[in-house]
Amino acid sequence: MSGRGQVSFRNIARTYGNFAALKGVDFDIREGEFFALLGPSGSGKSTTLRILAGLDAPTAGQVLIDGQDVTAVDARDRDIAMVFQSYALYPHMTVAQNIAFPLEMSGHSKAEIGPAVHDAARKVKIEHLLDRKPGQLSGGQQQRVALARAIVRKAKLFLLDEPLSNLDAKLRLETRAELKKLQRALGVTAVYVTHDQEEAMTLADRMAVFMGGEIQQIGTPAEVFAKPNSIDIAGFIGNPPMNLIPARYVDGDVTIGGHRLKTDSTLTGERDVVVGLRPGALRAASDGVPARVDLIEDLGDTAILDLDCAGTLLRMRVSDIEIPNEGDTIKVTARPQDVHLFDPATKARL
Amino acid sequence: MTGKRLRIIAVMAVSLIFLLAWAFPILWSVLNSLKTDQDVLAYPPKLLFAPTLDAYRDVLFGSSSILPNLVSSMIISVGTTIITMVMAVPAAYALARLRFRGKKAAGFYVLVTQMLPPVGIIIPYFMILRNIGWIDTYQGIILIYLSFSLPFAIWLLVSYFEDIPFEMEEAAYLDGASRMKTLWRIIIPQVRGGIAVTVVFVFLNAWNEFLFAVVLSGNTVRPVTVAMFNFVSVEQTLWTKLAAVSVLAMLPVIILGVVAQKHIVKGLTVGAVKGGGRR
Ligand SMILES: Nc1ncnc2c1ncn2[C@@H]1O[C@H](COP(=O)(O)OP(=O)(O)O)[C@@H](O)[C@H]1O
Ligand SMILES: [Mg+2]
Repeated sequence: MSGRGQVSFRNIARTYGNFAALKGVDFDIREGEFFALLGPSGSGKSTTLRILAGLDAPTAGQVLIDGQDVTAVDARDRDIAMVFQSYALYPHMTVAQNIAFPLEMSGHSKAEIGPAVHDAARKVKIEHLLDRKPGQLSGGQQQRVALARAIVRKAKLFLLDEPLSNLDAKLRLETRAELKKLQRALGVTAVYVTHDQEEAMTLADRMAVFMGGEIQQIGTPAEVFAKPNSIDIAGFIGNPPMNLIPARYVDGDVTIGGHRLKTDSTLTGERDVVVGLRPGALRAASDGVPARVDLIEDLGDTAILDLDCAGTLLRMRVSDIEIPNEGDTIKVTARPQDVHLFDPATKARL
Repeated sequence: MTGKRLRIIAVMAVSLIFLLAWAFPILWSVLNSLKTDQDVLAYPPKLLFAPTLDAYRDVLFGSSSILPNLVSSMIISVGTTIITMVMAVPAAYALARLRFRGKKAAGFYVLVTQMLPPVGIIIPYFMILRNIGWIDTYQGIILIYLSFSLPFAIWLLVSYFEDIPFEMEEAAYLDGASRMKTLWRIIIPQVRGGIAVTVVFVFLNAWNEFLFAVVLSGNTVRPVTVAMFNFVSVEQTLWTKLAAVSVLAMLPVIILGVVAQKHIVKGLTVGAVKGGGRR
């Protein structure tokens, strides 16, 4: 018996009719890890999570939990707790009864259930709501009940499908931080589905980026942010995402708007490329590319500039002390190590 | 201000007219059931008279007591209701969860069967029951009633089941509940209102049914709706007794209405509000 909550997906495919929702997904989740499945809507994240939970069956491939093939194991017997996007609380039961339900189903005695329910409620700060019905709670409170119901059983895997998407922005940020602390404190393996790259970046130990039913990249948020594998990922990660500009590459240099920019690439020869530049990696320099400031989005401590660089839109993040005026022309450049290169045909990183 | 008050008065007046029109037959029955045989024939009708319970005593404990008929009606109605619900609840649940082609059309045809004129099918039903020797039996009448109440009950219940998101069942499943436990602990409690409404309608339909009962019943099994006409004969109509039986026959209906009032009103309005937006 290996650890608790270690997961392996072995070449999982899922088709609905002729439509391939998952095209061979293959990855591991380590014990105790906070693992995010990130990707745009419809990319197959929920399908992957539901296959792990046993709510959906793969057309091909295996799911292993702690080294054991559970592909054919019933959802009830997988020892998995899940928080649904809709929370799926039982409306006719009180909060306490909702939280107690999984324990009741696994045959715990009343004497065990009472303290366990209070303990779980305390961890998510809803002890004062135990006698209410879900319909009498705010969205944020309902979300906490769903969390409490999921953690009360101390399952070995904790699955969350867009659990914060129904909360308002402020509450989302607060809950996000608490969620991470909770997972740390419980030491449980968490698999977290989200389409919000910022959520995945802040929460996850590692993440898998889904695109069109396939995983395009797996790594820590920092790794994926630093070296996106493809144009699609580059355009998806970061807020605002990377500037992607078609350009000509010649022996280590690229030409943008008639201006040369050094890269750290060692490729020789000449070819078409797509250059990726993070808004935060652009900086002002007297020998940079001239660009006109079209629009300034002031975010308080930073600002996002929309630059017109010989007809190409470039977005640049600047700190509040260096905000120019709209209509000004500034000169921008980037360090060679900040210039990402992609193949326009295959979309892969060069 | 005055316009508003006028409107309220107008609404009240119209409501009162409808209430009187609706309540008149009931009042008529109640009043006549409390009169003597002389008072009931007086013209103009007496509104003030010495009330008596003679008619009730006669129809309940007299020579032609309708007590056995009330019992028959009760057995038929309760039997029909129980069997209908035991079969309709799982069927409606399954129907709500299943996806198959022609589901919508199936629902429509169920409704159409409810609109067939009963006289059109009463003869075949009579012949079938006669052939298997089920005329004038409880199982015969209940079987025929089931053929109406079951589709109706399923059709009514399906919409309540459809309102429960499937995710809730999946949550229960992951929480370790079996399919039966999920049905009993998660699903059924949420459709209690719908079940109450359905029980009331099925029971009342069976209790009030007359046309099939008159053809398919006999001397052993004779529900009160049929037996009532013992008091109407060629020579005379026993008005006070007829009125007393009417009141007795209405009593369960009124009691059920009062008891289940909350559920019925809620069930009907929920059905009405959601019905419009349903797929
Ligand atoms: N039961 C189903 N029947 C048909 N298509 C489905 C079903 N479930 C999911 N899909 C399709 O599979 C794709 C992936 O869905 P999903 O995993 O839910 O995406 P997401 O990444 O947004 O969670 C979508 O295009 C969706 O329409
Ligand atoms: Mg999803």
